[in-house]
Amino acid sequence: MDIASSLAIVTLAALIHASFQLSVSVLTLLSGHAIGSKTSQSRILRLTFGFVTGVGVMTLLALTFISFLFIHVFGNEAPQFVWAIACGLLIGVGLAVWFFYYRREKGTSLWIPRSFARHLSDRSKATKHSAEAFSLGLTSVISELLFIAAPMIISALVIIQLPGAWQLVGIAIYAVISLLTLFSIWVLISSGHKLSSIQKWREDNKHFIQFAAGGALAILGFFVYVTKIMSDVAGAI
Amino acid sequence: MADDRTHVSIIKRQGQRPTESFDKAKLHQSIVAATLSARTPSGQADNIANAVTNYVLEWLEHRPEVTSHDLRLVATRHLRAHHPDAAYLYEQHKTTL
Repeated sequence: MDIASSLAIVTLAALIHASFQLSVSVLTLLSGHAIGSKTSQSRILRLTFGFVTGVGVMTLLALTFISFLFIHVFGNEAPQFVWAIACGLLIGVGLAVWFFYYRREKGTSLWIPRSFARHLSDRSKATKHSAEAFSLGLTSVISELLFIAAPMIISALVIIQLPGAWQLVGIAIYAVISLLTLFSIWVLISSGHKLSSIQKWREDNKHFIQFAAGGALAILGFFVYVTKIMSDVAGAI
Repeated sequence: MADDRTHVSIIKRQGQRPTESFDKAKLHQSIVAATLSARTPSGQADNIANAVTNYVLEWLEHRPEVTSHDLRLVATRHLRAHHPDAAYLYEQHKTTL
């Protein structure tokens, strides 16, 4: 697989990651509580920026860790069966996202363990300092691992086969693109947009987001299966 | 109308947490927070919260116990008349995550 195709796969995986909504929900709650408790705008900016930074750092750490683990176990090229498992995981998670991503109720409740949701909700209310917001960002990525593990794993498999410097580029591309949604919401909140408009847009478009994320996961799984596994098999014949 | 109606029992969501007495200040604070979240000036937020809290107190007058869900519904309905954006945020609070 050439460098351009590899980076294209990483980009698509990161876009899928960006479409997942848990961190956006926590950011909405965090800003809502901060604005509601008469926190100054500069402190709201610091809190929300701390949160976005926490999400970015944890995304970077998680992808780097998975890549390091794969390099340690498989070297620069993972065996075919690992690629096949990763493709199956992408398609499986894609179908699961179609059916289970949002709970069947009003609002934007996600299908994550309720204890995680309660913890994040309570912490977003209690967060008063940037350092707490940063750790909340770290935690929210962990809570979302169920959904983001598949795009991260496929990205890590692609990244480890790149030449040294391009591996860093791949990781940076993933981290930056996966933060795009959260960063956009942060800009909207910081510029004084109403939370109700943001939340209403999210609620109105939740089924589209769910369909797009699930569909993109399945397409990515199929694409990688064809370009990596089937082309290797065809080459061997 | 009584100012404190602490004798009204609030049955918490799905009975998972213990029942507690109605707390007017807590309701007022939650309405103020939702209204401020909708970028409303604090004086106006306070006035709206007073109006909604008084309406809820009237509604509670002949009820010895209510669920927290019903309380939220009634408060939301009245808040919507004053500030639809704040009512939306108040309603969505439990279903955002």
